[in-house]
Amino acid sequence: MKNFRYLLKEGVRNIWSNRTMSLASVGVLVSCLLLTGAAVLFSMNINAAMKTIEGTNSVRVYMKEGLPVLSAVKTGAEIKKLDNIASCRFIPKDDAMERMMDMLGEKDATLLNGMTGKDNPLPDAYQISFRDLSKYKTTVARIQKISGVGSINDYSDIAAKLTKLDRIVTTGGFWIILLLSLVSLFIISNTIRVTMFSRRLEINIMKSVGATDWFVRVPFIVEGMIIGLISGAVSSGILHLLYGSLTRTITSIVHFSPIAMSALSGRLTAAFLLAGCLFGALGGIISIGRYLKKEGGEIVDW
Amino acid sequence: MDACRWAFLRFGLLWEKRDRTGYGSGLQVIVFQNVSKVYPNGTQALNHINLRVEDGEFVFIVGASGAGKSTFLKLITCEERPTEGEILVGEQKLSNLRRGDVPYLRRMMGMVFQDFRLISKMTVYENVAFAMHVVGATSREIRRRVPYILGLVNLQDKARCHPRELSGGEQQRVGLARALVNNPKLLIADEPTGNVDPALSFEIVDLLNEINKRGTTVLMVTHEHSLVKRFQRRVVEINRGSVVADSCNWGVARA
Repeated sequence: MKNFRYLLKEGVRNIWSNRTMSLASVGVLVSCLLLTGAAVLFSMNINAAMKTIEGTNSVRVYMKEGLPVLSAVKTGAEIKKLDNIASCRFIPKDDAMERMMDMLGEKDATLLNGMTGKDNPLPDAYQISFRDLSKYKTTVARIQKISGVGSINDYSDIAAKLTKLDRIVTTGGFWIILLLSLVSLFIISNTIRVTMFSRRLEINIMKSVGATDWFVRVPFIVEGMIIGLISGAVSSGILHLLYGSLTRTITSIVHFSPIAMSALSGRLTAAFLLAGCLFGALGGIISIGRYLKKEGGEIVDW
Repeated sequence: MDACRWAFLRFGLLWEKRDRTGYGSGLQVIVFQNVSKVYPNGTQALNHINLRVEDGEFVFIVGASGAGKSTFLKLITCEERPTEGEILVGEQKLSNLRRGDVPYLRRMMGMVFQDFRLISKMTVYENVAFAMHVVGATSREIRRRVPYILGLVNLQDKARCHPRELSGGEQQRVGLARALVNNPKLLIADEPTGNVDPALSFEIVDLLNEINKRGTTVLMVTHEHSLVKRFQRRVVEINRGSVVADSCNWGVARA
């Protein structure tokens, strides 16, 4: 189109002359995008946690309390004989205690000073990884039957719980996002409709001098897209700040490393801008389309 | 009106004709063949109208309120489609015209409204330029053409004024400039003198007359008999949806 620049300028002018409604649209769209983003980030973190569990692909098998080292080695040899075992590494109880003291830090580790050597309450253990995760449960059951085995640190329960949580978040998030999307579309198309009614005279004049439907449409679509882009940028900024402070708080409480924002930043911002832009454009197309079809089609208003 | 201005206007229109002859060239005959229009609520607005307007004619359309004049204009501009009959503009049958082609038909027409329809937040220059933006004119063309057209309607000094700063007559001349800026072959004026002082009415019709002299067909809807009598042009009278009189001079031939 020859005068695309002119139409672009018109779109920007629309936003300014209708700034209160534009601001309302930005607010609603920001809330929608923020909730969407939060749900996506939550889901991504759960997936990452599950992958970590799956990635370690292992269980820790603790020997019975007071089991001599020699018997523990024998038990280890029997575990290794099972067909689904990829690796089987012995972790002596002294090593386990040392690692625990490292985790507690220099100051708190002094509490465990008297629990070394013979007084070490921790059992010997094996770190075992599997070849095939689908045989996870049967292999764990077979290990359980081997003599000398005390308990098994089984992650399958956590994985199941995380899967369930992820499903709830995904399903709930989907409906919330769908609802908010519809609300956002409604608000944006209404904002644009208000602009359109205030510019009825201009549209009539445009139509009387031979403007095509697209000439009338473009400024409104541009308006919607700019509202969407602003909302995308604002919500992306807010989510960056919130996620940053939330992950700092979580990592100080729980031993969990969430996905770093730096790894998501580019994709997240691009997705937000794109989503905002699409929503805005769609809002514009819907409202002006309906107007041109029903009321302003070929109206000159003689 | 002083002689200098008329000389300028005549020269301008001649130059104008040479300048853009390719646009909308060819006969722009308007033909109504047995046209009727019934609105969905049952109102019969036009009833078996037969009418032919030749290229380059100046026609006054007269009639009481509700006679069907607006419907007549709506049908020519394709705002409405006839229930029965056929309308031709040039060689184009309007019944065959797709919705997407209506804007291109309208680009051959200039429209002047009783209520001026100027955009209040725009200056005189911008109001006229706006019509050129719509048809995709370049900035260079707009910069060249708008001052020229404003000169034709003697508003070159008011280019930066807003409509509220102008008199009714001046506002209507802006409307006329906007209608002319895309060099139409047909000018449709719906009571262009309805909102201006009687003294200025003649000036507006004088201007339309000059535009008609360069070959632009003019259809002017009016209630003012004094104008019709003074300008001695073809008069078509519509009453209750039918053409009840059609003459070259008022009162000469009545159907």
